[in-house]
Amino acid sequence: MSGGDEGPPRLAMWLLERFLAGDVREAFIGDLEEVFRETMLAARGTRAARLWFWREVLSAPLTVRRDPALQTASGGDGMLMNLLADVRYALRLLARRPAFTALAAFTLALGIGATTAIFSAVKPILFEPLPYPHPGRVMMVWEMDQDGGKSNLGFPTYRDITKQSTSFETTAAIGGWSATITGRGEPESVNGQRVSYGFFRTFGVAPALGRDFVSADDATSAERVVILSDALWRRRFAGDASLVGKPISLAGVPYTLIGVMPKSFENVLGPQAQMWTTLRYEGEVAPACRTCRHLRMVARLRPGVDEASVNAELSLLGRNLDRAYPNDYAKGGLHVVALHDEVTSSVRPALLAVLGAVGLVLLIACANVMNLLLARGVQRQGEFAIRAALGASRVRVVRQLLTESVLLSLVGGVLGLGVAVAGVRALVWLSPAGLPRLTAIKVDAHVLLFALAVTSLVGILFGLLPALHATRSNLHHGINLASRRTTGSARFTRTTLVIGEVALALMLLIGSGLLIRSMQRVFAVASGFDAGHVVAVQIRTAGKTFNEDSAVWRFYDQVVQSVRAVPGVQSAAVTTQLPLSGDFDQQGVRSESHPRANPAEDPSAFRYAVSPGYLETMGIRLRRGRLLNQQDGIGKPFVIVISESFARRVWPGEDPIGQRVQFGSDTWYTIVGVVADVKQTSLSAPESDAFYVPADQWSYASNAMTLVVRTNGDPALLSGALRKAIWSVDKDQPIVRVATMDELRVVSEAQRRFALILFECFAGIAALLAAAGIYGVLAGSVAERVREIGVRSALGASRSDILSMIVREGLGMTLIGVVIGIIGAMVSSRVLAGLLFGVSGLDAVTYGSVTVLLGVIALIACAIPAWRAARVDPAVTLRAD
Amino acid sequence: MSTHLGEFEQLVLLALLRLGEEAYGVAVQKEIASETGRRVSFATVYTTLARLEVKGFVATRQGDPTPERGGRRKKYFEINALGKRTLKESLRAIRTMARGLDASWDTL
Repeated sequence: MSGGDEGPPRLAMWLLERFLAGDVREAFIGDLEEVFRETMLAARGTRAARLWFWREVLSAPLTVRRDPALQTASGGDGMLMNLLADVRYALRLLARRPAFTALAAFTLALGIGATTAIFSAVKPILFEPLPYPHPGRVMMVWEMDQDGGKSNLGFPTYRDITKQSTSFETTAAIGGWSATITGRGEPESVNGQRVSYGFFRTFGVAPALGRDFVSADDATSAERVVILSDALWRRRFAGDASLVGKPISLAGVPYTLIGVMPKSFENVLGPQAQMWTTLRYEGEVAPACRTCRHLRMVARLRPGVDEASVNAELSLLGRNLDRAYPNDYAKGGLHVVALHDEVTSSVRPALLAVLGAVGLVLLIACANVMNLLLARGVQRQGEFAIRAALGASRVRVVRQLLTESVLLSLVGGVLGLGVAVAGVRALVWLSPAGLPRLTAIKVDAHVLLFALAVTSLVGILFGLLPALHATRSNLHHGINLASRRTTGSARFTRTTLVIGEVALALMLLIGSGLLIRSMQRVFAVASGFDAGHVVAVQIRTAGKTFNEDSAVWRFYDQVVQSVRAVPGVQSAAVTTQLPLSGDFDQQGVRSESHPRANPAEDPSAFRYAVSPGYLETMGIRLRRGRLLNQQDGIGKPFVIVISESFARRVWPGEDPIGQRVQFGSDTWYTIVGVVADVKQTSLSAPESDAFYVPADQWSYASNAMTLVVRTNGDPALLSGALRKAIWSVDKDQPIVRVATMDELRVVSEAQRRFALILFECFAGIAALLAAAGIYGVLAGSVAERVREIGVRSALGASRSDILSMIVREGLGMTLIGVVIGIIGAMVSSRVLAGLLFGVSGLDAVTYGSVTVLLGVIALIACAIPAWRAARVDPAVTLRAD
Repeated sequence: MSTHLGEFEQLVLLALLRLGEEAYGVAVQKEIASETGRRVSFATVYTTLARLEVKGFVATRQGDPTPERGGRRKKYFEINALGKRTLKESLRAIRTMARGLDASWDTL
């Protein structure tokens, strides 16, 4: 109920002002308001008073209407009165046919609810600007490699762009960071970002508490400072504002807490990041090199600068850099992309496909309800005829029917909103990890409006057709109720609708069929490792005791030893990088025998710094040479093992064993073995170039390693024992993630799986609705043709003749729908192309099997009406007339 | 125009008689409620008053606007001579018809 705090409900007042007859309006409203203020408010409170007011208002037009004198006295009230009368009548009718009403409302609720849920999820991602001031001006800047792939930048490149470009208002470089909060309760590893001081200014968001970074914080010699997210500050530090300005301990090092970001700050470039510190690279000599490409760059354009002109400026700048440092750049140039495109481009195909699919579901739902109403319209022709005979105009009857359908769609809309709320929750739960702006997904007011708009549109759409049909035929003729046969045009419309439903359902079924086949293909791809019985546990080291690399290696060595002693463990090892986990660590490799003229163009490969036994534990097959073993370590010759694809790429047709390579330093590593290719980023990604190096032969130790353990039984059962074993070495080390390799395989295909699950749901609903449509039309047809069927069987038609006659009718509709659906699927399969893997959008097997499936469903839908027709007793039907 | 009066029309006309100069929508509704216990909506009161006006039984005049009415004027209703006569006729008819029935009332 709307209205101000004290006065009567505003909407009710407006209704009165708008619709009440002119001569009583003032006195009537005045009386109501007087009683409302004088008596009701004081005696019963605001709520009750308003309720009373509404009751008075709603009874007004209906009561007043019955008075002929008042009705003629006013011009404005006729419409509302007719409308209210229509609504009452429609409500009575709908209540009298609960089965029809429930079926129609439920169908609509499914269509509207699913549409609203999907739209809710897609809207903040694809259609809404990012939650920053002037979001269109926030850009990402990339270095491009030769193949047109985007690459991170080294700090000097970032600094040159910032200094030389005139297009940007502010810029920031972003690096990864994670640190363990120590000193307060249990150690906890928290993700963060190391950023240049302009980071928050680039987004246009300032801390809610304390201060932003300033340039002095970014100097090499600056004291360490940290800004926390609102969530982390509240959870870990109890929202204590007095902590701002005080030191907190991260991995044993004191950082001054200088600020807390507002709760509303959404960090699309690092949704997991909970804290930020400065890069501290600003100084006379940059501590990072041009080829150390470990930073992302974000920048805010000056007002009036567009994407094209900044790209023109940066390509010039890129050429200058190439000339000045020919050995540091791969000559791909620099490129600017709007942040919004950057964030959404990877999920766009899946979301658009899902949006399209749900649109089809809504269409089918509408067609189904239209069909239901059409059938009812036919049944009610007698009623319309009587109303016409009593003086109702055609417009009046059409309006009554429209009221009914709008009302029905409103009921469907309300139910659909419930479906939407549940659906959005399910979507967030189902969503792939990479989906950006997850926290922004909710059923909001806009989506509610969208649902209502869809509902009324649908109402008018499906109300119009039956209304026209019902009144096109001669109304007076209809009083003659002897025959209930559907008029030819109504039957044609209904059949057309069912054909359309079948076609749309087939399109959805083919879409999900293609996705299912892709999923099978993806999981059939050899991952290169043996996922069964392997569990992976990531451990981070933190604290002063680990300042020395040797201490880190010793710690991990002890962990491996301790875990190997756990009963049920076959083997264990550690690695810096785990396949399919989201880890991404590539390293440029310089071959002694095939060096590139420009070191920046050296091939890069995934780097796995591992302990001996890693390759065996993961079940990665040896192709040539030998694996790494206990003898490879500190003080021994530097050795690596490489992947097959990498061997082919750098030493095609040669034996790579014994070849030497460098990794950005002077140390030469000798290749001692070649192993099978392993999928690192995803099962469907082609690149597998990799090398494996003994962890203690690498130039630095990593503070995050993943322990991989092969077990005899179910690996998930051992996780408790594993934790205990790890903590027995050092109880202060946080365990970050525990997952079996099988789980990681599934998670790595989350986006495809997400689309697949939704398509399966939608296709299931669509097939059900189409089957209901076929059933409805046939059942109606059988009911209308009882006499004809009776005559036929009296003249000697057998039961199977009758049966096949009805089935033929049903399958005929299905066949036409299938042909149209196949054409539609072929045309629209391009939408799905980005989600398919190893399957063509025109895959004959999928099309064939799905068509058969739909045929079976259609046959089942035909069965009941056909059976009923075959049981028609000719004697009974003929006697009835 | 019909001279027949419905039961509620009688109640309204009686209320106008009792209220005299002070008869407007709220007062009529309250008078009926307090004397008979019947709570009716304003719509009912106004519909009836309007019908009585059309039938020529009541006259109306505008009052002054007051703040508690949102600055709206009252509309006062007054029963006229024809109205009084008709009401009297109507009540007399009822009394006549009911005469002598009082004794057997409880056995009905």
